[in-house]
Amino acid sequence: MSNSEAATAKLRDELHNAPPEPLLPVEKKLIALSLAIGLALLAVLAAVNHFVPTGI
Amino acid sequence: MSDVTLRDFRSATTPQAAAPAARIDEDWLAVVLGLGIFVLGLAVLVHVDVIGWVVSTAVWGHLGQALGPVSKTYAPLGGIGALIATYAALLVVLSAAAAALKTDVKRFALAFTAVFWIAYASWIVGNYASFAAVTAAEQQKFGVGWSLKLTGEGAYIFALLAGLFIANVVPRFADAIKDAVRPDLYIKTAIVILGGFFAVTAAGKLGLASSLMLRGVAAIVEAYLIYWAVVYFIARKWFGFSREWAAPLASGISICGVSAAIATGGAIRARPVVPVLVSSLVLIFAVVEVLVLPFLAQHFLSGEPLVAAAWMGLAVKTDGAAVAAGGITESLILAKAAAGGTHYQPGWILGTAATIKVFIDIFIGIWAFVLGSIWTRHLDAGRGADKARPREIWQRFPKFIIGFVITFAAGLYLALGTPADIAKNVPAAIGEANTFRVIFFVLTFFSIGVLSNFKALWREGFGKLAAVYLVSLFGFVVWVGLVISWLFFHGLTPPAAS
Repeated sequence: MSNSEAATAKLRDELHNAPPEPLLPVEKKLIALSLAIGLALLAVLAAVNHFVPTGI
Repeated sequence: MSDVTLRDFRSATTPQAAAPAARIDEDWLAVVLGLGIFVLGLAVLVHVDVIGWVVSTAVWGHLGQALGPVSKTYAPLGGIGALIATYAALLVVLSAAAAALKTDVKRFALAFTAVFWIAYASWIVGNYASFAAVTAAEQQKFGVGWSLKLTGEGAYIFALLAGLFIANVVPRFADAIKDAVRPDLYIKTAIVILGGFFAVTAAGKLGLASSLMLRGVAAIVEAYLIYWAVVYFIARKWFGFSREWAAPLASGISICGVSAAIATGGAIRARPVVPVLVSSLVLIFAVVEVLVLPFLAQHFLSGEPLVAAAWMGLAVKTDGAAVAAGGITESLILAKAAAGGTHYQPGWILGTAATIKVFIDIFIGIWAFVLGSIWTRHLDAGRGADKARPREIWQRFPKFIIGFVITFAAGLYLALGTPADIAKNVPAAIGEANTFRVIFFVLTFFSIGVLSNFKALWREGFGKLAAVYLVSLFGFVVWVGLVISWLFFHGLTPPAAS
């Protein structure tokens, strides 16, 4: 087996058999904050979009 | 976007001799090339036609109609002469670029010769009237009885298919020409030139243009804050990927494909193989999107051209594929509208898709820094990785955007801020540079195809990664992108063509 094939096999094995890494509180916070800020900003932008006329 | 394939993945997994450092990176090179072409085009404003010999391709019924120099000044050159002149000029300029990138110039020149002629031949084929003619009058004019009505710009698909054929049927040839298969360089150069073209298009309708820019902010929010969080959650929770894999994967799927995956991988100190493998996936799915979404947009969104444009910018990953998808969508929708008697001004759908993509690109460095800070200070603090530093924001900033902004500002000033006798020549001047933009698009499409070896990817057995991509992209990203594009762009249409 060549170096490249060995590396590929190792990586494939890593992807399929890696031990589970539970979501840490920091990650949960990142996901929740990101979604919350994103949805809030989208709501604000949608309101601006609705009330401010397009300058066509 | 970056020029990555499984061959890069293999080189990232095995020890290699260090390559010599390039004098300039591809981003800055694209700025230099794009600005250079833009400035040469502007010489028309002082009545010097420097690049009017560049070849332009029209829809044709017999081959003699296909080619010609873009400017009448160079009409004696003829179509073939213009094509050879264009090839020779690009060969010289891009070989110099290859030297600056520390690539073997001789190998590059040979590979570029093959890339140029195959890509341009497929572009010419795609402009044949049976593929490109839109109206019955055009079919009659070119003497063809039927047409796929793809328009001339639809011929980009032919370049993509030619590349896909080479990648998947003759992969050894694909490997032989890899030195000139540089979609990243080609599309970034094209985007720099596109800035000037879009400025001239926007100059007539500044209100609409500024409305489009404001709506670009919504695209940033969507890509970074909503897509990323959901895709990261899916990769981690449903598919059990480690943080090292999930973060570049989420950035690749949700933000801007390859460049975002690589920026994130670097920021969180992932092994090089991780973003490179993610990038291979990005490219392959982008090809699928380019072949499917513009046709869906033509079928379902022909009455909402700018919703379709924003959708391409938001849903199709990688700069090249997204901007190219915008170009194909424009050609398909304009053709359908024209068949129905509505003639939209060209440039708005392509310009909107490109602007959305550029808006998203701007924040890659900042987002990568945010993730890098969280990773190196909280998640992997014990691993001894060096901490993320603010200067990385600039290091990861896609510099070609500076070129886009410069040409956009210059184009706008020339169209609106100069005396009428100069301003009237601006569209022609920028039109000459824009002809090079079209050629760089053709080279990008072909290159993306050449990099997309589907068989190799499946053979590697990374189906689990592809599954996350498939679920996230077609189960979430594409449809949320459509909803938000509709929310912010519905009711906006390009101005009527004068």
